[in-house]
Amino acid sequence: MLSIVFHKRRRLVRRLFFNHEQIRTMSRVKRRTTHPPYWHVLKNVQRGDEKISSDNLRFVREVIQDKYKNKSPIKGSDLDIEKTEWDPKTKRSGVIARNIGVQHMWEKDGKKVICTVLHVLDNHVIRYVPPEEYAKSIIGAKVFRNRKPLGCLVVGAEAANPDRFTKQYCSLFNEVGLLPKKRLARFIVTPNAALPPCTPLTAGHFVIGQAVDVYGKTIDYGFQGVVKRWGFKGGPASHGATKFHRRGGTIGTGRDKARVWPGQKMPGHMGSEKRFCRGLKIVRINMKYNVIYVKGTVPGPTNSIVQIFDTLLPRRKFTEAPPHPTYFPPEDGTLPQEDIWDSNLHVFGSPSISV
Amino acid sequence: MLRRAVLQTFRQGLAQSFFKRYAVSLTETTVTHQPIETSNEAGERSVPTQKTGDESRNTVVVAPPEFRFMYPEFLPDPAMETRNRLREKLERMDMLQRRSVIEIPEFYTGSIMAVTVADANSPNKFARFVGICIQRGGSGLRAWFILRNVVDKQGVEILYEMYCPLIQKIEVLRLERRLDESLLYLRDALPEYSTFPLDMEPERRLNNSVVPINPLKVKLRPRPWLERWERQNLQGVEDLNLPQRFYDKAEKVAKPWEKYDLMLHYRKTIPAEEQEKIFAEIHSQLQQQELKRKLRRRRGPDNEQ
Repeated sequence: MLSIVFHKRRRLVRRLFFNHEQIRTMSRVKRRTTHPPYWHVLKNVQRGDEKISSDNLRFVREVIQDKYKNKSPIKGSDLDIEKTEWDPKTKRSGVIARNIGVQHMWEKDGKKVICTVLHVLDNHVIRYVPPEEYAKSIIGAKVFRNRKPLGCLVVGAEAANPDRFTKQYCSLFNEVGLLPKKRLARFIVTPNAALPPCTPLTAGHFVIGQAVDVYGKTIDYGFQGVVKRWGFKGGPASHGATKFHRRGGTIGTGRDKARVWPGQKMPGHMGSEKRFCRGLKIVRINMKYNVIYVKGTVPGPTNSIVQIFDTLLPRRKFTEAPPHPTYFPPEDGTLPQEDIWDSNLHVFGSPSISV
Repeated sequence: MLRRAVLQTFRQGLAQSFFKRYAVSLTETTVTHQPIETSNEAGERSVPTQKTGDESRNTVVVAPPEFRFMYPEFLPDPAMETRNRLREKLERMDMLQRRSVIEIPEFYTGSIMAVTVADANSPNKFARFVGICIQRGGSGLRAWFILRNVVDKQGVEILYEMYCPLIQKIEVLRLERRLDESLLYLRDALPEYSTFPLDMEPERRLNNSVVPINPLKVKLRPRPWLERWERQNLQGVEDLNLPQRFYDKAEKVAKPWEKYDLMLHYRKTIPAEEQEKIFAEIHSQLQQQELKRKLRRRRGPDNEQ
């Protein structure tokens, strides 16, 4: 492969030929599985039809209430959080949210904007794993192979009835005394952004105008043909084309190779993959309902779960300190502003725009 | 009794919404921020001002049934894949906010309307267009309607988004309905049926309670047409006078069983109970807005003096 690289000026590599090497290695990577990874704790209880009397059911519920009554998650002010300084290299925690759909809004010059509505679920920090410990784990070792190790925050969302989960899964939350959560996620954080367990994370964690990355599983399109999956042009619709309208055409390169290169674009399963949407701007935050409006669209269908965190795009990172390590309601009890809008956005209750 | 006592102590704890299902009574006394709530449950949580402290007298507010036709854009899109109660609720709140600034009157397909829009390229910076509403659709903030008129022998149709903040004023010059829900056949009709004077004055209604239905039968131009009107079961069109083979083909292609398909109609509409809930939520706010506007109109001529 011929490539011209300017080492001194660090310009882009100019590719004159198609890089079969890279595609060949990537085509062997398994992109999706139906089974969870081997280190996942069995989550849901596999139970048959249990005929339990109403008295016993009531007793079970009382036991659950007693168990979780005394260990309720405490507000931010009661937690002992070390006051750490924010610096531009800090990585804050992310948040688990649900993509609840799309709403159209208008900017102050009348331009229409599509905003995705993300509902920040009831996030609580489950555990903080310090950098040294995390670097020893299998995944931590892979992530920090050639760089300085960072800590890991395990965050859970969507509390549910402990009846539904196995004992091993509930034990993950026993130390903290929280109701077991349906969703778990890990966020890589710098040690100065570490949070103690039971800390709630809300929509106030983010700032208006900041850019975020949203990570989620894309829409599952199923088995798709080459036109939709890879954007091929197919064939002519008329002019005598026999059975060649949405097919791929030639798949070989010639007599030299005499085979099909691995990674050749063909029909197959499309979607249902974890992907990032980077640099999306937050235009509105509703503190009462814990909802964020983000300009653009995010991976995944409506009502799917996504992870949101501060962007890693260098030009859109923070210049001023955000709520660090996370947002806490003010100690004097004053309620925050319920609905915060970006300065560029037209607020619905304000007078009509006159150009 | 024991259950209620336990519930009382637990109200400050975590699992409020989870145990709501098992609660004997639901009193919305504590409307503090409940951290654990799925988005669907949050949308279903009723407006606290409606319910009073004691449960004995349950004041249930129900909107009049005409709301379904007067404000159809408040009903969400019935497609189940994209429905979410919390988002729909937030969208309705935004719609009411916009309606508090501008009056979006009741109108139907067949009504003649005038819309004033802020336009940078106009001499006055405002552009006014008068036309007949031939179609309306969309739900929530995406609600739209199309106005049609014939200007200088050229047919013009403009699609307006009802909640766009560029719209300064929407007036209904003549409020009436036609025999069809969609008047797209006016594109193939004789131009006099789509022509309305641009300086038309708003007409006063004699009977405010009933919206009149205009039984006009429109004459179409000779074929070719933009659509196969003989296949669409149109009521507001005069006899098409086509050769019999057109009607035979229309019968072959027709789906007469669709009117018996209950699931199809169910999937295309929002259930009645949900509609009642939605309109009960917005009913009081819409009424308040109307009252304010009436007062402003009455005070308007007095203030000028």
